[in-house]
Amino acid sequence: MKIMLKTDNIKFSYNKTNIIKGIDLNIKKGSFVGIIGPNASGKSTLLKNISKTLTVDQGKVYLDKKVLNDYNSMELAKKMAVVPQNTEVNFNFNVYDIIMMGRHPYQKRWSGLKQEDKKIVKNIMELTDTLKLKNKLINELSGGERQRVIIARALAQDPDVLLLDEPTSNLDINYQGEIYGLLKHLNQKFNLTIITVSHDLNLTAQYCEELLLLKNGKIFAAGNAENVLTEKNIKKVYKAEVLIKINPISGKPFVTLIPEKNDKYKNQKNKDFKVHVIAGGGTAQKFLYKLDNEGYPLSIGVLNIGDADWQAAKELGIETVEAPPFIEITEKEINKNRKLIKKADLVILSDLPFGHGNLANLKILLEFPEKKKILFSNLNIEKRDYIKGKAAAIWNKIIIEDENVILLKEKDDLIKKINELENMEMER
Amino acid sequence: MTEYKKNILVYLVAVIVLILIGFTALFIGSSYINPIDVVSYILSNNQISASTAIIISEIRLPRIILAFIVGAGLAVAGSVFQAIIRNPMVDPYIIGISAGAGTGVMVALFLGIEISVLNLSSIPVFAFIGAVSTVFIVYQLAKVGKKLPVLTFLLAGVAMSFILNSVMSFLMVLRTENLQQLVYWLMGSLAGSSWSDIQMVLPYFLAALAVIVFYLKDLNILLLGEESAAHLGLNVERTKIILLGSASLITASVVSVSGSIGFIGLVVPHITRMIIGPDHRKLIPLTALFGGGFLLVADTAARTIMAPMELPVGIITALAGGPYFIHLLRNKSKNIW
Repeated sequence: MKIMLKTDNIKFSYNKTNIIKGIDLNIKKGSFVGIIGPNASGKSTLLKNISKTLTVDQGKVYLDKKVLNDYNSMELAKKMAVVPQNTEVNFNFNVYDIIMMGRHPYQKRWSGLKQEDKKIVKNIMELTDTLKLKNKLINELSGGERQRVIIARALAQDPDVLLLDEPTSNLDINYQGEIYGLLKHLNQKFNLTIITVSHDLNLTAQYCEELLLLKNGKIFAAGNAENVLTEKNIKKVYKAEVLIKINPISGKPFVTLIPEKNDKYKNQKNKDFKVHVIAGGGTAQKFLYKLDNEGYPLSIGVLNIGDADWQAAKELGIETVEAPPFIEITEKEINKNRKLIKKADLVILSDLPFGHGNLANLKILLEFPEKKKILFSNLNIEKRDYIKGKAAAIWNKIIIEDENVILLKEKDDLIKKINELENMEMER
Repeated sequence: MTEYKKNILVYLVAVIVLILIGFTALFIGSSYINPIDVVSYILSNNQISASTAIIISEIRLPRIILAFIVGAGLAVAGSVFQAIIRNPMVDPYIIGISAGAGTGVMVALFLGIEISVLNLSSIPVFAFIGAVSTVFIVYQLAKVGKKLPVLTFLLAGVAMSFILNSVMSFLMVLRTENLQQLVYWLMGSLAGSSWSDIQMVLPYFLAALAVIVFYLKDLNILLLGEESAAHLGLNVERTKIILLGSASLITASVVSVSGSIGFIGLVVPHITRMIIGPDHRKLIPLTALFGGGFLLVADTAARTIMAPMELPVGIITALAGGPYFIHLLRNKSKNIW
């Protein structure tokens, strides 16, 4: 495949501060590249270097095999179009005039509007859905509409490469998708090479084929979204704890910030009443967040990796005993669980279903008759028992023999009950 | 097509009104001339007295034409400066270019050229040197790296304007013999205009105007912001320098005959933009018509309201323009363009 844009160990400094510290790029024709990175990582500067707004101090930029600095401004405008970060236009041209300005590199000074220019602009307005805005003034438009107009102007330059700096930074979520959807369409239908700079990891991951993660003026990672957006990379570059999920619709990685570990200012009202949760299948998800918010020290086990409760526990940074899915819980994991239960003041068993794999989670309660336990009776045990009565038998034994069992009908009553238990414990 | 028709209508009305204003300015003044006499003079009927004919042809007509040229020049220069700096608060008067041109003229006078030498065409050259040096200094002061931020440009302009006004006052104190004339000139006045003034100004004025007309489309592109303009294939720095030079030359040529007349370059482009929009290909000709018309009205008022005494026309334009400027400052709405 043809290389459209290449940089050769480029460096750039601004006021003696090194911003770009040696970057090599090889961007193929027709690729859709997203440059990401934290603030001050040099991503906007890199874009300015490859658009000739800022000339590199060292190294060379090649656009279509020719050195960037050898292009005169008219030639360059025919090859490369740029949508800047700030598209605010503080004067009132109408949309048609603005888009027509994109034809400037092709127009002679005194020639009027050519039929060809008119035709191209009309096609582009149809493509970008700006035809209906034709006679509107630029300042009457919404943010998303204005961005589409500016993109249309860039397309009117009939470029081979389109560069965009934070194309959606001021837009609502619906416009964000719309703009990136348009870019994707342009990329696929016209084989237009597109390079975006964005701080939005998820949008970039959803739409761009290749990601470029910058750190301190250098490329930290490059490749497809799955390889670049890993928990490890993000921790190293952004110093943030995140959870990477997979967007079920696009199959692309989706970054979620883990609030507990990053929030330094969170109210530290940690209570002296430890709660251990036995759950699975997303049955505890909701009350885990509530308990965490109340400030109870939590532990949880044994959970299958990837399970909804497991994800919630990870997000909250709860101490978790985890096991690989689809196989029976091993003695090692049961032991860990046992240790946590011993330390706890209260054990909660959520209304999870039981099978061979997790029966040990139920059995273990028999070992702790002296612990306070909360169980739920909202779902009949027979309906949750997938091992022909084995689970129901153990359940009934606990309910009948254990004096420390509290049976709740509603999960909503849980917090209230725990508060009561905590107060009783304190009085003692 | 309706917009096209509307624009034609606007231009038509502007031209007709301008002709009416010009005609009115011919017969009113410190001595009233019967409009019928004016008509018959225009139709080359010799039935009017010789003195009336002289008043019309040697006093009023050149003054009317000069007022139009000066007003049009200031308005065009104002539009160009506003587009380059991308700020509607800019005006040759505010950013010190008028003061620079004025200082150039004063220095020329101080170096021994008599006030009567004002008629010689070397005066606009001095004015131009003063104006361009001022632009150059302001430009250098305002430059941050390779960029020209609006705010520093305005501040540097205002500072230079203060300094140059003091220099002018100082030179004026040193040469007290022509003080009243100088004061009038400084405040902006078209008193004593003659055909030779027009001859003096016109070549510079037309040359600079031609350059500006050549670059009208580039001015539109500059309005998008310098970065965007560069991405659209415009050689921004070169275009800016050429246009700043031309607008300075226009300013210098008109200041050398009229002194510093303020606020026309600010107010007129504004009002014109409200009527016809920001496209310079339509804006610049209309702003020239409006600027010329506005100064013609102001100058006719200046020589009429306290006749036989004359007011410096700069007072009238400042009284009209100052409040408008304050209004703009207070009302920082987005649609000022």
